[in-house]
This record gives sequence, C-alpha cells and structure tokens, in this order.
Amino acid sequence: MFKSIAKKFLELVLFFLILSFVSFCLLKLVPGDPVRSILRVDDVAVSNQQIMDMRSQLGLDQSLPVQYGKWLIQLLQFDFGQSYLTHRPVFTEFMEKLPYTLLLTGGSLFIMLLIALPLGTMAALYRNRWIDRASRVFALIGSSIPSFWLGLLFIEWFAVKLRILPSMGEGTAFHLVLPSLTLGLAMAAVYVRMIRASLIESSGQDFIKAAQARGISPIRIFFRHMLRHSLVPLITVFSESIGSLLGGTVVIEVLFAYPGLGKWIVDAIAARDYPIIQGYTVFMAAFIVCINILVELSYRWVNPEIALKEKRLS
Amino acid sequence: MFKLSYFKLFIPTVMAVMMAACASSPSASPSPSAAPQDKSVTLLFNVQSPSIDPHSDVNYTAVRAGVSETLIKVNKDLKLEAWLAEKWDSKDGQHWTFNIRPGVNFHSGKAVNAAAVKASLERALKLNPSVKNALHIRDIHADGQILTITTDKPFPEFVSELVHPNTAIIDTTTTGDLPSGTGPFKIASFRAGSELNLDRNEQYWNGKVKLKHAKFMFNEDANARQLAFQAKTADIVYRPPIESLELLKADSTVKVDSLPSLRTHQLIYNMNNNDLKKTAVRKAFDNLINRDEIASGIMSGQGTPAQGPFLSDFPFSPKYITKQFDLNAAREGFKQAGYTVQNGKVANPDGKPLHLTLLTYQSRAELPLISQLIQANAKELGITIDIRQVDNIDEYLAAHQDWDLATYSSITVPRGDASYFLNAAYMPEGALNYGRVHVPELTGMISQLNTTVNEEERNKLALKAVTLIDQENLQSFLVHPNNVVAYRDYVHNWVTSQSEYYLLTQDLDVN
Repeated sequence: MFKSIAKKFLELVLFFLILSFVSFCLLKLVPGDPVRSILRVDDVAVSNQQIMDMRSQLGLDQSLPVQYGKWLIQLLQFDFGQSYLTHRPVFTEFMEKLPYTLLLTGGSLFIMLLIALPLGTMAALYRNRWIDRASRVFALIGSSIPSFWLGLLFIEWFAVKLRILPSMGEGTAFHLVLPSLTLGLAMAAVYVRMIRASLIESSGQDFIKAAQARGISPIRIFFRHMLRHSLVPLITVFSESIGSLLGGTVVIEVLFAYPGLGKWIVDAIAARDYPIIQGYTVFMAAFIVCINILVELSYRWVNPEIALKEKRLS
Repeated sequence: MFKLSYFKLFIPTVMAVMMAACASSPSASPSPSAAPQDKSVTLLFNVQSPSIDPHSDVNYTAVRAGVSETLIKVNKDLKLEAWLAEKWDSKDGQHWTFNIRPGVNFHSGKAVNAAAVKASLERALKLNPSVKNALHIRDIHADGQILTITTDKPFPEFVSELVHPNTAIIDTTTTGDLPSGTGPFKIASFRAGSELNLDRNEQYWNGKVKLKHAKFMFNEDANARQLAFQAKTADIVYRPPIESLELLKADSTVKVDSLPSLRTHQLIYNMNNNDLKKTAVRKAFDNLINRDEIASGIMSGQGTPAQGPFLSDFPFSPKYITKQFDLNAAREGFKQAGYTVQNGKVANPDGKPLHLTLLTYQSRAELPLISQLIQANAKELGITIDIRQVDNIDEYLAAHQDWDLATYSSITVPRGDASYFLNAAYMPEGALNYGRVHVPELTGMISQLNTTVNEEERNKLALKAVTLIDQENLQSFLVHPNNVVAYRDYVHNWVTSQSEYYLLTQDLDVN
C-alpha cells in the first residue's frame, strides 16, 4: 500500500511538471494580452508605448522558457503569484472560492445519488416494467434539458411562485438547494441508465447465480454482491464527474450568483490573468490526481479481488 | 427475484428527503411585497465584483455602493462637483492645490486630512497601473487640509481623472480586508462575487443617511436578475432584460427608469483600406446606416440614435444635421467619390464591386444584429460585406489588419471630459485607435486640448475636434444604448446616474 502511494506521488510530481509546462506554453500561445486589461484601455486613455512598457515590466516580453522558469521557481517556494487585476494572492482567492465549489459539488452529487441510485436500481430490477420505462423517459428528458433553462425554471417555481427558496446568492443551506438540484438532476439523468446497465450486467455473473443457488437472501445478494460488483465502473465515471463539477459549473454559478471556481476561472481567462489561470491549473490537477488516487484505493475496498490480483503479481 | 415491497420504500423515502430539502425557513423566505421594515434596500447589479478594494476593483463597487468617495465627483448634469475636496485650483495645469473638506471622518473614526488623502492616493498609484497612467502624478505634498499635487506634465484633465472610482479615498492605516471609506454606508460584510451588506454611517459628513441597511448583490444573468426582482429578493434591479420591460411596466408597483448612457456603439473604418481611407466613401457609407431602425427595432426602443461620439447635451457636441438612412444619397455619394453606379449598384472606378469584411463580437448581443442590418443595406448597393465574429474584439483589432469595418462599443465620456475618448481613439498612439486614424490637424487639436487648462477653452477645442471628426466621418456613431433600471414603488429618491458611478446614495429611501 505504502509503495503504491509513493509511486503515485512520484507520478504526481512528474504529471505536474508536464501539465504545468504544457498549460503554460498553451496559455502564452493563445492570442491575447493581459496588459490591455490591466491598464483598462476601455476606461483610461493609454498609449501603445505605455502598453509596451507594462508588458516589459511584467516580463511578458521575455522568452517562454525564461517566463516558465521564473514561474516554477516561484511555485517551488509555494508562491502562486498575484492576480494581475485584483492584486491579491492567487492562493488566497482560490481558497476563498474552493469551499463554495466543494459545497455545490457535494450538493449536486448528493441529489444525483438520491435520484439515480434508487431509480437506476429499480429500473434494473424491474426491467421493461413501468419504472424502467419511466427511468428511460427521465434520462432522455434530463439529459436533453439545458441546465441554464432548468435553473431558470426552478427559480420561477421555487423562488418566484412558491417563495420557499432563495433565487440566488449563498450563505445558508437553502441557497444551495436550487443550484444543486439543477446540476444534480442533469447528472442523475445520465447515471440512472448507467446504474441500470451495470446492475443488469452484474446480475448475470456466475457468482450471483451461485449465491442464489446457495439460498442466500435476495437482499443480501443485492447489497453484498451485486451492488458492490456494479460499483467499480460507476466509481470511475463518478470520479470524472467530480472533476468536471469542480471546474465546469460556470453556467450555474452565473445564474445563481454563486461565487465558485468556475466563474472565477472563466473571468480570469477572459482577462488573460495568467497567474490565476496557471495557479488554477496546478490546483485542479492536484485535486483530480488526489481524487483518482482515492478512487483507485476505493476499488480495493469495493472489489477485494483487485488487491489480491496485485498481491499475486508482486 | 426481489419482492417489490422492499423497493417501494425507495419512492417515499426519496420524496420525503427532497421535500425536507425544499422546505422553507424564515431566513430563506423572501420579504413580502411591502417596503422593508427597517428601511433597507437591496440592489441587484449586473456585474460581479471579485473585490471590494476601491483601488483595484474593476467594477468600482465601493463607490457604487456608497462606501467610499473620491475627491471630485461628476454630477447628474455630468459636470465636475466638489466631494471630499472642497475646492481646487491650478494656474498651469501641472501644479494643483486641493482643499480637503474639514470635518470628514473615515468609517474607522480617523479624520480625513491631506496626509490621509496623500496616503490613499499613493496606495492607489502603487497598486493600480491604470490609475498611475491616468493621473501622471509626480509628487504629492500634504499640509493640514491642503493637498498639493504636481503632475509630471501639464495635465489639465487631471481633476476629471480624479473622478475615477479607483482613486477613492480610504483609510490606509486600518488593517483587514474591508476598506474604511467616508461614504454614507459602512461595510458589514462582503462575499466576493455574491453580495455586499452595508450599514448606515451614523456620522456621515453630509447629513443623515435615510436607509439603515442596504445590500448590494451581483448577478450577471439578466433573466435571473428579472426573476430575483419578481421574487422580491431585490428592490432595485440594474439592467433587467429588455424583452421583459413591457411586463415590468405593466406592474403598477414597479417603476422603470430608462435614459441614454454615456456608451456609444460605433462603426470603425480601417484607414488602411484603399476605399475607406477616402472621406467621401466613408460619408457615402454612413448613409447606409439606419440608426432609427437600430434604436427602435434592434434595441427595442432602449437606445438613442447617435450623431457623434458624445451625447448631444455635452458642451463639446456640435449641432449635428441629423444623419439619415438614405440609399439614394449613398449612391450619389459613391458617384461623387468617383465610383461607378450601374443599375443602382456601386463598383470601384476599375469596375470591381466593393467587398468588405466587418468584424463584430457577441458580448454585446445587439452588435451582430446591427452588423447584419448594415450588411443588408449595403447589399442594396451591390456592396458585399462578410461578417466575422471574433471572441475578443480589442485584441483582434489591435493585432490584425485583415478587416475593413468593425463594430465597437465604448463609454466615451467616463468622467465628464472629452479628452479620454479623443486621445484614446484618434491620437496615432492611442490604444483605441484601431482604425489607424492619423489626421495631423486633429492630432494638433487634441495635443492643444491636452495642454489647455481653462474649461471653456477646453470645451471649444474639443468641439472643434469633434466637428472635424464629423466632417471627415472618421467613424460612424450608431446608437447610445439606454441604461435601464427597475425598482419597486416604495423606493424613493432613486437617481439613475448616467456615469453609473453612484448607485446607493444617502438620499435613497423606502416607505
């Protein structure tokens, strides 16, 4: 176990270096200039000479390897730099946004599980019955509806008409309900069919048939064997969903005025705020890698056969 | 295989959990339709603010929300007015003396004197390169309530630049993230990108503040803002969606304020294009622009046809002859410019039809539509216009020359002085001179303006420059989009500021 984690850590460092270099290069190759945003050319009379001076002051006229080297040295000292626009440390801004995004991610996943797990399970257990057909309709509608429209619909119902939930902002658990519901429903639509397919696949396995032959109760078979076996592919997709939720909820964040990481990074990209973009890339890479490590560890728990196989191989 | 009864339990369980999650709580329930009990107002603004530091925040929230104030403000007639500076003076446009208003305290309790103003301005200069470029300050000296500033060159528009919200005066000696300003409201809490909660400043220097609390919220989605207003989450909503205005106007408890903004949508001509570098061609092309259709159709009546870069009530706006959409005048114009006109279609002197590329961008939704209207009108004369949409118009225009026309939009008089736009858009080195305009006579006029101190003289010079821009048709000015604000009828003394710098004021009230 320790060896495996150490190996993962080394992979992580290597992955960081490659990722940060590639993203740094790509960022600089994309047309755009942060200096125009910094100097607010749309608000203050600025000459082209002042733009060039500022570019030089920020070191943006230096070669790419030099710029990357400076950034990396800074990073090794745990200095992620400062935002060009707010002049605040990137790390501070990231840590301010992170809890909101984690809450939204958690809330969405909770809603997703709340809907997808029972519905997917019942669709698998009662194949071609009304519940299966209902789950298919739900999946079709849920994955077709644009999330911003669904969000607006929820605001209209719950905030404008029923007046039971706030339409925007953050601060209480109630503020989290509508954005989580919007994101969670869209995700549940996808997961319902996946859970169904995975359970159906598991139910045909020999060990299930053997368990049934041994007279083990259906409930025990379902929870101890079938569900556990189905979880392996689901956890993989689940981990990918967490990754996309952490960074890709910008539409929902805008709609519900929710101050998460998605809007933060989109604004930074629009303003070419390089320190934020680069810092975000590193943070998110670390998150995704950590999630992947956790997922891999969870495989061993869910399916001990995987750990046994590794042991045999070593 | 399994008994249905086990799984029947799932449905009620899920429903129960969801209903519990959706249950209302007193804190989450929006207020009833009546005016807030403790004289508070919630304003919903259209741009998110990541910071509340007045020296670096690009959305100027501290000034907009009445937290901090500048030395000089621009009033509703768009004229400069004393604020934290009681009066000011300069003989040469380079050495400035400001009398700092006595009896003003920061929210922290510390008195505002020249030394505190100096420290605040120096912080802004250090933190914000844009402010540094805008102010050109060489030296600041403080003595009691007298502040002396020397600019690094004669800079007559210096006072108007001090209107910039990023120069707001704050107490630099306080610690913590929340700035201590001098405005009618003190910050109670700030959540970046979400909301700013404010309490009345009981010791406000300019008299009693009517509201006890105020909330400044942000939401960038127009439909979500509209719904939040309907849900009574907000009492004032900035820029509701234009398509919902009729709905809002139909509600007798809602007031809608709509007035022309200081923004102007423009059509930029690339002077490197052999056709468009000719004044006569640009003038003929201007006849293809149907400003009334843009204002009433595309902008749903929420725009005012623009005759020039500035609103007509500015002293530096000439008396324009109203520009008309006239295809025949356009044909005649091209003919006089030496172009051939056959069967109503225009061709180059060498017989080739005109083919132009027009750049536009999506972030102002009306601009692509305006482009299509111009394209359709030009087609009537046989002029082909290819429309290309780019992501970042500023970067594209600055870096490329493969275009002939471009739609653009900017606030042309952000602080009541014409020099910003004239310098940025028409000086050869100006950062907004995307069309590569280089008219020596105009450059001379703007240079002279930049060294003229007397306000009357400045206005005369600016007027001359704007008249020349009109005569040469260096750009076509399309429309001034309106600022629209909707608010509940219990909100009193709301003033829609054309500069958009001042939203929550001491006079704002509810009953």
